[in-house]
Amino acid sequence: MEPVVMSPPAAALLDVAAGALLLTAVLVVWRRDLPTILRIFTAHGLALGALVGVLAWAQRSVELGLVTIGVLAVRGGLLPWLLRRALAGAGPARREVRPVVNVTASLLAVAALVLLAFSVSVPLVELGESPATRAVPVAVAVVLIGLLVLVTRRHTISQLVGFLLVDNGITAAGFLTTSGIGLVVEVGVALDVLLAVLVLQVLAGRIRDTFGDVDLGELRELRDR
Amino acid sequence: MNAVGWGLVSAVVVALAATVAALAVPRRHRPAVTGVGVVAAGLLGTVAGVVATTGTTWSVARPDLLPLIGLELDVDSLSGVFLAVGGVVAIAAGTYAIGAARHGLDGPGVQAALPAFVASLLLVPAAGSVGTLLYCWELMALTSLVLVVAEHRERPAVASAGLWYAVMTHAGFVAIMVGLLVAAGAAGDGSFAAIRAAASGLSPAAASPAFLACLAGFGSKAGMVPLHPWLPRAHPEAPSHVSALMSAAMVNLGVYGIVRVGVDLLGGGPSWWWVTVLVLGAVSAVYGILQAAVGSDLKRLLGYSTTENMGLVLVGVGACGMFAAAGSRALAGLALTAALLHVMTHAAFKTVLFLSAGSVLHATGTRDLDALGGLRSRMPVTTAAFGVGALAASALPPGAAFVSEWLLLQALIHGLPAPGVVPAVVLPLGVAAIALTAGLAVATFVKAFGIGFLGRPRGAGAAAAAESGPAALTAMVLAGLACVAAAVCPTLVLPTLAEVAGGVVHAVPAVSGTVAIELVGVSGVLSPVLLVVTLIAAAAAVVGALRLLARRRDRRRARLWDCGAGPLSARMEYTATSFAEPLQRVFDDVLAPEQDVDVSHHEESRYLVAAVSYRRELPDRVERRLYTPLLDAATAWGRAGRGLATGSVHRYLGYGFVTLCGLLAWLVVTR
Repeated sequence: MEPVVMSPPAAALLDVAAGALLLTAVLVVWRRDLPTILRIFTAHGLALGALVGVLAWAQRSVELGLVTIGVLAVRGGLLPWLLRRALAGAGPARREVRPVVNVTASLLAVAALVLLAFSVSVPLVELGESPATRAVPVAVAVVLIGLLVLVTRRHTISQLVGFLLVDNGITAAGFLTTSGIGLVVEVGVALDVLLAVLVLQVLAGRIRDTFGDVDLGELRELRDR
Repeated sequence: MNAVGWGLVSAVVVALAATVAALAVPRRHRPAVTGVGVVAAGLLGTVAGVVATTGTTWSVARPDLLPLIGLELDVDSLSGVFLAVGGVVAIAAGTYAIGAARHGLDGPGVQAALPAFVASLLLVPAAGSVGTLLYCWELMALTSLVLVVAEHRERPAVASAGLWYAVMTHAGFVAIMVGLLVAAGAAGDGSFAAIRAAASGLSPAAASPAFLACLAGFGSKAGMVPLHPWLPRAHPEAPSHVSALMSAAMVNLGVYGIVRVGVDLLGGGPSWWWVTVLVLGAVSAVYGILQAAVGSDLKRLLGYSTTENMGLVLVGVGACGMFAAAGSRALAGLALTAALLHVMTHAAFKTVLFLSAGSVLHATGTRDLDALGGLRSRMPVTTAAFGVGALAASALPPGAAFVSEWLLLQALIHGLPAPGVVPAVVLPLGVAAIALTAGLAVATFVKAFGIGFLGRPRGAGAAAAAESGPAALTAMVLAGLACVAAAVCPTLVLPTLAEVAGGVVHAVPAVSGTVAIELVGVSGVLSPVLLVVTLIAAAAAVVGALRLLARRRDRRRARLWDCGAGPLSARMEYTATSFAEPLQRVFDDVLAPEQDVDVSHHEESRYLVAAVSYRRELPDRVERRLYTPLLDAATAWGRAGRGLATGSVHRYLGYGFVTLCGLLAWLVVTR
């Protein structure tokens, strides 16, 4: 694959978009108020859309431009809207009351994870040095942060946000490394994610109906004795 | 394609067609269809095998037929022997299976598995590459497993036996796979021809683990101690014609595998491989027959007897490899000839024994010898068939096993002057083990026949027994005739077997002669025909003389002396347990029986006995010492693993997350 040659303003914009992607992911970990988290997550989706848009502009690719619109619609509009609806249906709890690991420790862990992501992505960047590949560590960091949210948060909505962070990170890595995966693949992945969110939303509703809460800790009894 | 190819391919096609037919035809015709299919496949397989033993080879490679590995068949004379044995056993078992509908075994799964099992039995010795062998081996394991658990609704013990069999046969499969892949990896190709060609360049560090892994896997299939515990469980619990197929045909393939891999593919190897085989064989023989001698479950007894006989065969195989490694090719050929002949005779008598045991089980509803007896008048054909089989199994001169064991002893005794300390220790011990085994076998089969069939019935089932149907009787008579043939004229097959064995170890045939067996290279002559004729003539003379003497005297009819204790009843008879009691005493330290006598008294008087209960158990000691700790450890490990699964979703996610981060960090550090 040819490394994408990028004009300096495009490269700068790409760096800004990538920085926004990472910053919003870190903010998700920092905040405990669920409506705020959802607003940050919306910003995260928009940052991802901006990232793809910059790539489309840099490569002058119409197809990638169409994908940008799709990404903005799904990640910045549809998914946050679904999450807000799920939150409205998830009962009175509006805060991530007691995460498994407290926020300060989580932020320290995030710092460690970002360092890990940067050091582990060195060979990826070396494969083809370009502004796009230099942003790959950010995508990897977002994946790891998403996993951290999945592991440390109890509220079902937080879990969903973590899952979607992982997915956004993978999507970003895909766009940054391959200069545009096929439209069909992207649409397919988006549909898969949508389906997963819908299923999880239904599951969250069922958990609430059964246990009167959406804390995943309630599922502790469901194990082999 | 020559006669071997046609026979083998048509046998497999017929068997697979019978499998499909078993799923398609209505329940009432199913056993007949599969039975006839198995008989036809057995006949065709026998033809292919017999032609192959005369030196006709056939091979085919179809890379498109099996996914990923391709099908490679390569039939030579060694394969031919095992093909023919499997085919003959299948004929008898198939005939018996036609009548198996009476036994309530007409479900589609069980009936479809039987022909497929026979097809795999014929394909394993014909396999010409590692992939094909493993594929057919696994097919054999799976189909036989389905057949073993056929009656799981009737008896809970079947499920346990099936579990043991499934686990051990698959552990064996893994061992064989590892061994063969090591050999194939060194050769760079999976075909047997390539491995054979590369064997001379194989380092001992690769060849020895490969051989030991194959020995463990194949030996487990042959019921070799200490890998035998599945055998006395699975063989009794399977339906009897399946027991016959497993015990008379399937276990042989373990021996085939050891000979094929050790002698043929790896080219012999160092002497210590074969000393290991010989010692394990001798231990299996003695341990197997000892357990059989003290057991009272008819089919379990026969299962242990299989361990014994496969042990004897392994002694032959081990001696063959040892002599070949020492350079005495003639003796190696003789030992392998003896082993192959014993495989054949064992197949013949074990088929008739299992089929007649099945007939007894069906008629009386029990396998417990202590509840049998008095079947001679009610089931004359079954009794005669079991008698012939028991005689053949007990290694006494008119029996079939005598000839093969004689040959085996000849090989070991003539090998005694071999140089080195190890042969000087191992060979006399081997001879002693065979002699001890022969003696115990006589006791075992006298017990099985005498207690099981003669005397008075000891239980209600035995008292109400009726002879089996025509299909079962035909099968038993066929197998019985094979036993008689093996006893009277082994010379019909021996020169061919000697040629096969000679071909494997690159020596001249070790046996010749048409009427008498003449050993080539060492001195020794035996004529089974003359022996049998002489014995029958002597027996007839003794009986005639006694009759003559008796007629001269006056005779008086009177009641049998019963010590004045009233009419003789079945409870005064010897039982299997009491018959074996002296043996059990002699081998007390080896068997470690668990006995418990519990005497309870009347409340009024301590001097009056109310009841005496006696309980005796003979646990398999190898199993208890070796497998129970293993199973306990596995269970404990499983319980410990449960501590990891607390039910917390976060913890489960965390395992994955931590592992991922750890791996990434490791990557960063090591790169």
